[in-house]
Amino acid sequence: MILPRTIRRFKERREHRDGPYAELFEAYKGDEVVSLDCETTSLDVSKAEILSIGAVRIKGRKVMTSDRLDIRLKPPASLTGESIKIHKIRAADLVNGIEVEEALEQVLAFVGNRPILGYYVNYDIKVIDKFMRPIYGFGLPNKAVELSHVYHDIIKWKSIGGDIDLRFDTISKKLDVPIIERHTALGDAITVALMYVRLKHGSPPSVG
Amino acid sequence: MPDSFNMENLPFSLLSEQEQKLLRNHLDIGYFQRGETLIAAGQEPEGLFIIMKGRVGESDLSDASGDTEEKSHNVFVHYEDEDYFGGWSVLNGKAIHNFIAVEETICHILPTRILLDLIAGNPMFADYFQQNLTAKREIADQYGQSQDMAEFMLARITDGIIREPLIVPEKTSLREATQLMREHKADCVLAKRGNRYGMVTGTDLLDAVVLNGKPLEEDVADIASYRLISIDPEDYLFNALIMMTQQQIERVVVMRGNELCGVVELTDVLSHFSSHSHVIGLRVERAKTVEELRQAARGLTELIKALISTGVRIRFTMELLAAMNGRILGKLFDLLIPVDMRPHVCLIVMGSEGRGEQIMKTDQDNGLIYRDGLDWPGMHDAMKIFSDTLISFGFPPCPGNIMVSNPEWVNTTSDWAAKLSRWAESCEGTSVMNLAIAVDGKPVAGNSALFKAARGAFLRNIRNNDIFYSHFARASLNFETPLTFFGSLKDKGQLDVKKGGVFPIVHGVRTMALEHRILETNTFKRIEALVEMGQMQKSMGDNLSEALALFIQQRLKQQIIRVDESDTGIDETPNMVDLQKLSKLDRELLRDALRIVKDFKKFLTLHYHLSN
Repeated sequence: MILPRTIRRFKERREHRDGPYAELFEAYKGDEVVSLDCETTSLDVSKAEILSIGAVRIKGRKVMTSDRLDIRLKPPASLTGESIKIHKIRAADLVNGIEVEEALEQVLAFVGNRPILGYYVNYDIKVIDKFMRPIYGFGLPNKAVELSHVYHDIIKWKSIGGDIDLRFDTISKKLDVPIIERHTALGDAITVALMYVRLKHGSPPSVG
Repeated sequence: MPDSFNMENLPFSLLSEQEQKLLRNHLDIGYFQRGETLIAAGQEPEGLFIIMKGRVGESDLSDASGDTEEKSHNVFVHYEDEDYFGGWSVLNGKAIHNFIAVEETICHILPTRILLDLIAGNPMFADYFQQNLTAKREIADQYGQSQDMAEFMLARITDGIIREPLIVPEKTSLREATQLMREHKADCVLAKRGNRYGMVTGTDLLDAVVLNGKPLEEDVADIASYRLISIDPEDYLFNALIMMTQQQIERVVVMRGNELCGVVELTDVLSHFSSHSHVIGLRVERAKTVEELRQAARGLTELIKALISTGVRIRFTMELLAAMNGRILGKLFDLLIPVDMRPHVCLIVMGSEGRGEQIMKTDQDNGLIYRDGLDWPGMHDAMKIFSDTLISFGFPPCPGNIMVSNPEWVNTTSDWAAKLSRWAESCEGTSVMNLAIAVDGKPVAGNSALFKAARGAFLRNIRNNDIFYSHFARASLNFETPLTFFGSLKDKGQLDVKKGGVFPIVHGVRTMALEHRILETNTFKRIEALVEMGQMQKSMGDNLSEALALFIQQRLKQQIIRVDESDTGIDETPNMVDLQKLSKLDRELLRDALRIVKDFKKFLTLHYHLSN
């Protein structure tokens, strides 16, 4: 059954409020955000398998790259052709990868109940949820922060009519933020984190 | 951290793989808005900052009041791409300057704790690091900042100046000891008696034999002094210097616990410090003979190398070098010119030296102005000696023979003014070049009133002479700026930055400065003055300054490589920049700079009505 995420989160929160993962469901009070990115074998959630997960904490205007998550998983059977061209991760690059169970454990420990930031973050959350549900009985309960929405909300006041270009490279160029290792999970997570900090703390970018 | 941090830059490239990993694992990234303070004076900094993007200014204004315009007034260093700062503050425990983002800035932050670990674990890294800080301190000192002794404090005894001790056993005769000292070129010997060491210096030997009449067979251990002043190898070099001064001795023994490591000599300590600007300055001031001055001048080359290799802003290096060269010339003038003649003559430097824009030792461009009617028969000989001495100091002779040894460039005040005016009237190429060199003249020694009188007379003469300015300005269009219509770099191979970039800016600015009677000779300062007078737009002035600094810097980078690679140590093509050797970024910058030159030429064409 496909339920909207909000309803499902609400339901899962009730079910797990007193469980061993109760603290994941508590409302977050701090000032940190976790920027997270997954490299997967497909853009279709139902087919996608996770290859690597990168995450980094943001505290105020600092991207805490010293405290980060950089996980490689065991190569899945579906790691072939098309996706390799994008993320350039081959099976050989994942020889020392860990099992998805362990990876999820690390992700939960790292993220806690902090909001999760990403570029098209719902996709990453959905993929993680897909692997989490069978094991934990719930998906990521965290609040999601969508970078392109943050960007859109700020820039829409400055652009008159027309669509706003929300492509990753365009945003990074507009914000004048260096792209760090495009198409590695950690690199993208850091770039997104930088764009977020820039949007939250800097002056609005110019349009045009 | 993935490869967003460039480990190829010094000093980080000195770290081992393990250490680089440690560094990578502890880097954070900070974001700062324009005007935000990264390190505040008096505060303990978070760590070492390495800029990814943006620009940060270091300023001495300790209170944060006043608007940004006023604040930026005191900025004396700008840090940009991949520059790092805050290291000195980390070592010192707190910052003495403010570091404020001039633009939006993203930087890596390396926490203090890790930086200190790396410095403690890697002597090369520590060395480089400290040398760099020293160089930065030089700049601060040039700007009249706190004249503290930080740079001395940082050097330790182990910094490579410990001499191997010459040890002789007991029962060695005075004769043998002297023989050994000669063979080892040592000027002291340590005599071992039991498990104690006693020092015997050359003076001790002389005293023993000559004054006290001891036989040459006497045991050297008998005349040794066993009350040794010793110092730990990890101690600061500066402490050794203090010790020697207090005890009035010239060497101290370096002991690690009970183990003898060697001897440190006063001369070595002094020469270790000799490449520091104010030490060189002091040595220049104190020089009593030409020979002493020559020694001091030698240290200058080392200083410049250190400044350049540690990436100190080119403008400051140039100013520093110009100031030091000026002092050397002034001192040599005092040493060679008789006291009674000094008030009647004025030594001037011209060309790039007069503008204070030379880096590598360049040709001497100098001249002499003397009082009308001065009777000094020995003048020409004195000037010849002056030029020759400068050559022996390592200042190459001028190929165009613009030197005081050439009577053409030794003139009375009125002759000089007349000569300038004659050149100004002539349309011929050499005259224009001579005039261009001459109007960058600057007095360095003697009676500067003589120079000012001549300059005043010349400026009055050319005032309102629009034809002259128009004619003079034309030279800046002589060489084509190598940009195609589309603005990309035309030549794939070599670019003559002097013709294409440096000269048009320098000459154009020179013409405008003359027109507006600006007495500054330095191009950057001329630009500032023109902007202040409203004769040039601020944006144009800033662009021109940036472009000029870039040309000089790019040229210098390749000059240094060529000098290092050539067998003779001479760079045959000093103005060539090989485009293939530039990074993509450098090429882009160069292109932007050439565009600025192109725009400036258009401006000059309009301003001075120079249609082609």
